[in-house]
Amino acid sequence: MIKVNGLSFTYPGTDAPTLKALNFDIKRGEIFGFLGPSGAGKSTTQKIMYKILHHFEGEVLIDDKPLSKWGKEYYARIGVGFELPNHYLKLTARENMALFASFYPKKQIQDIPQLFEMVGLEADIDKKVEAYSKGMKMRLNFIRALLHNPEILFFDEPTAGLDPMNAKKIREHIIQLKNQGKTIFITTHNMYTADELCDRVSFIVDGALQITEPPATLKHNYGRDVVRVDLEDKQSAEFPLQGLGQNPQFLAFLNQAPLLRINTLEATLEEVFLQVTGKALKI
Amino acid sequence: MKKLIDLTLNDFKLIYRTPSLRAFLVMPGIIFIVVLVLLPMLVENFPSVEPYLPPILIVATFELTQMFGFIYCMVLIEEKETAVAKIYGVLPVSKIGFVLARLFIPTLITTVLTFILLEAQTFYPVAVVPNLVFSLIAGLLVPVYILGISVLAKNRMAGMVWIKVFNIAVVIPVIAFFIPQRFTPLFGIFPTHWPYQGFFSLLEGEAFLWQLIIGLFYLGGLLVIAVRKFALSHFV
Repeated sequence: MIKVNGLSFTYPGTDAPTLKALNFDIKRGEIFGFLGPSGAGKSTTQKIMYKILHHFEGEVLIDDKPLSKWGKEYYARIGVGFELPNHYLKLTARENMALFASFYPKKQIQDIPQLFEMVGLEADIDKKVEAYSKGMKMRLNFIRALLHNPEILFFDEPTAGLDPMNAKKIREHIIQLKNQGKTIFITTHNMYTADELCDRVSFIVDGALQITEPPATLKHNYGRDVVRVDLEDKQSAEFPLQGLGQNPQFLAFLNQAPLLRINTLEATLEEVFLQVTGKALKI
Repeated sequence: MKKLIDLTLNDFKLIYRTPSLRAFLVMPGIIFIVVLVLLPMLVENFPSVEPYLPPILIVATFELTQMFGFIYCMVLIEEKETAVAKIYGVLPVSKIGFVLARLFIPTLITTVLTFILLEAQTFYPVAVVPNLVFSLIAGLLVPVYILGISVLAKNRMAGMVWIKVFNIAVVIPVIAFFIPQRFTPLFGIFPTHWPYQGFFSLLEGEAFLWQLIIGLFYLGGLLVIAVRKFALSHFV
């Protein structure tokens, strides 16, 4: 559905390119993620894809049609969840949604109270947005992106500023959107978000893509297929995952003392990121 | 049309819910009182003021543009500061069409208010057609002013500074009435110089249309540039 070939971009007035020849594609109904530290070029890529930044080099195709050939009808097909809350603070949440809904074809517009209910804001629908907390504003950002039932969704740090409970809810909603067949492009520096949501993830550092794989593959390829066993008497040992149930040493070890814990030593995405890019995620 | 109405209603809601902007809505009322009530009293009690009536009237009329100029600058700059402008960047609307639609109502209201003020003032008779041309020029100043400041200012504080600078630029050509005539063309660089001079010629019964037309084209050109610059910078 989305194909990007050799995408490079340099902000006017700067010498160094922000994006360096990016190549990736996003399949219909897929959740694709860019994982990288701040300033890596994640948001810039999205801004190009929703046609806010122009004059890029390379090719961006949406349904095999170059981005530049898409007119304003493109915006009826995409929804954008911005990184930071952006609303008219003096208007109520309902007024904000109604105003932006008025720009889309009526038949596309979803039931607004239902959207508020979906993210637990139904009791606050008629409150002015200036009275909202940051988390509430972010949830409002999220449902505004869905207002016109778009096919393609861009989420920039979709769980930023949310408490763990609401972050989990938003992640669940994003998975539901994927199940409805939406194509979703997420940028994040949060490995949990990338790990839980993305079908495939690309690591981006300093404007260049390092690797693109499903999170599970990355964790498998860069992790160790062993389990670590800790006993209550402070003994610990590692055993290969393969044939674990028939491993006599493993079984004997378990009988030496009461068991404290067993963990697989699969790498986290953060560890994989560090191994692949040589850089930490949370910069 | 519905979008235009929605946008205008939304802007008026924002203005009405912001006390400092709401207070500014009384400005035309104050100018009307000054021109229609206080100025006649002043002239009656101090006849020496009479020779200065044309510049006073011209400046008072152009001050009408400041109400929507100031209010909409603040609305648009706040939109930029709070990143709401970015949302308009991803809506299925033409950016230039959106800008023009957004500023149509303040331009129209300013044009109408200017026309009414010039019709209602009792000092000089102004025929309908020149009044319309002059009012249209005054109206055109509003979007140029709003877009110019919104492009230059990154935040409300910078906006206040630019509003001051633009206010001075709007009023400064009045100096041309008080200096030797050979220096008058120097003020031609300011777009309001031309309608000021045209209006003065009109009041003096001299040829005025060419000056108003220059003013119209000057402001029209500035408007085209301002719309383009705004469309490139506001939604990013």
